[in-house]
Amino acid sequence: MTMIARLGKSALAMCLAMMPFTATAQTKIEFFFPVPVEGKLAREMTRLVKLYNESQKEVAVIAVYTGGYDDTKLKAQAAAKAGKPPAVVLMSANFNVDLKLSGDIMSLEPFLAAEQTTRDAYLQDFWPALHANAVVDGELYGVPFHNSTPLLYYNVDHFKEAGLDPAKPPRTWAELVDAGRKLAKGDRHGFLMPAGYDYLGWLMEALSMSNGGRYFNEEYGGEVYYDQPSMLGAARFVEDLIFKHKIMPQGVTEAGGVSTSFFAGKASMVLLSTGSLSFIRENMKQGYGVAFVPRNVRNAVPIGGASLVMFNGQSEDGKKAGWKFIKWLTTAETLGGWSRFTGYFAPRRSAYDKPEMKEFIARNPDAKVALDQLPFAKPWFATYQTVAVRKALEDEIQAMMNGKKKADQAVKDAQKKADELMRPYVEQTALKLP
Amino acid sequence: MARHQLARRLPGAMLVALLSAVAFLWASPFLWTVVASFRPEGAGSAGMASLLPDFTPTLENFRNALESGTFGLYYVNTLVVVTGLLAVQCVTVSLAGYAFARLRFPGRDALFYAFLLQLMLVPPALIVPNLRTVVDLGLYDSLPGVMAPYFASAFGTFLMRQTFLALPRDFEEAAAIDGAPWWAIVWYVLLPMAKPGLIAFAIVSVTAHWNEFLWPLMVINSPANQTLTIGLAAFTRGAEGGKEWGVLAAGTLLVMAPLAVAFVTFQRRFVDSFVFSGVKG
Repeated sequence: MTMIARLGKSALAMCLAMMPFTATAQTKIEFFFPVPVEGKLAREMTRLVKLYNESQKEVAVIAVYTGGYDDTKLKAQAAAKAGKPPAVVLMSANFNVDLKLSGDIMSLEPFLAAEQTTRDAYLQDFWPALHANAVVDGELYGVPFHNSTPLLYYNVDHFKEAGLDPAKPPRTWAELVDAGRKLAKGDRHGFLMPAGYDYLGWLMEALSMSNGGRYFNEEYGGEVYYDQPSMLGAARFVEDLIFKHKIMPQGVTEAGGVSTSFFAGKASMVLLSTGSLSFIRENMKQGYGVAFVPRNVRNAVPIGGASLVMFNGQSEDGKKAGWKFIKWLTTAETLGGWSRFTGYFAPRRSAYDKPEMKEFIARNPDAKVALDQLPFAKPWFATYQTVAVRKALEDEIQAMMNGKKKADQAVKDAQKKADELMRPYVEQTALKLP
Repeated sequence: MARHQLARRLPGAMLVALLSAVAFLWASPFLWTVVASFRPEGAGSAGMASLLPDFTPTLENFRNALESGTFGLYYVNTLVVVTGLLAVQCVTVSLAGYAFARLRFPGRDALFYAFLLQLMLVPPALIVPNLRTVVDLGLYDSLPGVMAPYFASAFGTFLMRQTFLALPRDFEEAAAIDGAPWWAIVWYVLLPMAKPGLIAFAIVSVTAHWNEFLWPLMVINSPANQTLTIGLAAFTRGAEGGKEWGVLAAGTLLVMAPLAVAFVTFQRRFVDSFVFSGVKG
């Protein structure tokens, strides 16, 4: 017997031994979920799915942890192309347009029709700002699950030390610069914001919206407004924070570095997601406060977070099972519990009428600020080729933050790149003339 | 030799100091990971970036990391993947290497270069086609599915071909005269002499697949089949939250520990193999 033959045999035996077992009476569906904040959320999600599986007999959900938001999109689309589409996916809320255009996700309208309800009636209970990202081309494609907005976090001890009133955090860009100048000293920065991929695009959207802008066309996936006054002003503002006012360090800081600097007292004010609220509450040793994102023209912030979508290619039973699971995950009770656990806000308004939620808000006034900012929230950036179009802006702004480009040139170049990326879609739609 | 001249000119102590400084720079990320993994959570504000342990060490971070997943299972799965894969690869790359080095057939060199071309492809471009094949073979969501695309390694074949080419033909000819069939020549004559090449390949293969994230993430769904890197990602891939550096460091150490221990134990063997086979890390 040669080694080769022996190895061959054992390899074959191993393959056979590890073939997955299939076929039972229940409808088995796969649920892909990313972990947007930290490891313990993966455990909580696994616990929720287990709870669901034990609560009924017809559907068995297999919860699959799939990395970050971008990894989840990659894996779900690759699986769909290979003939193994997941039934339900928790997907970054601004991927819906892209996924619908690529034909990956299914319209949820048939389920609403089967239950004799309308889209408007169904979305009634969800915060109005969330509707635009859930609906694509007039049909429901995603059910919001957890959501966030950017928030200004500030160090109360630093405020007192610099002679600022902690009860009056900066409300405008002018006040932000003014406070930042007083707060910055030595190696302590007055202000800091994450500038890694994904986060930067979202915060630039917040700043351009606070400057009166829209960032993108909510009704049409082929337009972004990068070289308009609202975004130009936002870009110049960030440039000035670094090079003119010198209250923010030059270069790109990732989100993890921003929260660590905030905890360490190296940054007095930071822009971070409401999704970080629980994490900051648990880890910040000094006093801190939260406030709206400061405005230049008006108060406005984009929504962030994730919604539940269903992939095409399911059996009839699989579709029904997927929808049933989505409905269970998005009851006011489940959403409220998840919100208290994570710091995200619950997308259903009725979740806040529950006694546990009222008590929670009373105990944590910072959560109330996040809630109060919601009426000013607007849809999250979503276009054809969302990720690439977002990166077109992020690459330019990062170059600007590194001192390699001026704001005016950066937004111009970003617009050019974004237009090129969206051209195929634009040619097929707005520029396709009779 | 330039190195010898340099060594003669620099006094011994200075050379040691210089090399220590370089070694320290090289090792500082690892040192930080070790220090951070034992740092209590509350010390975060004191100096998370500090290399000096200014606290009472705690095992809390390791406990948190271990609780965030079934690490025992991850270790077993990763071990199955890297050893199973290596076993199959040893067979395929030595046979293919032998064919390209010793057998004569039309188009051999063209075929060899075509084979090498796959080294130029970026792995993400192959995700969808490979995943389709894995599904067709019924290997989706299984550990063999994680291994399958790497069974025939271009790098390994190249390395073994070069190793065989460097061996003198005299031994094989002697065996052939004694009537040994080709497989006996490979098994009894060539492979024992090519051992350093195989060991060098084994190190590269094991570390690459031990650390791989994207492909296992694509293939594996069931928690029971997850590998270490996917388990680790649970606390490194957070997007919106802050980073729990201590837990992250502890998790990273847990993942790398077996490889690090193995390397330290067999260090001399490994270094010899690399020197012999001409592969540099």
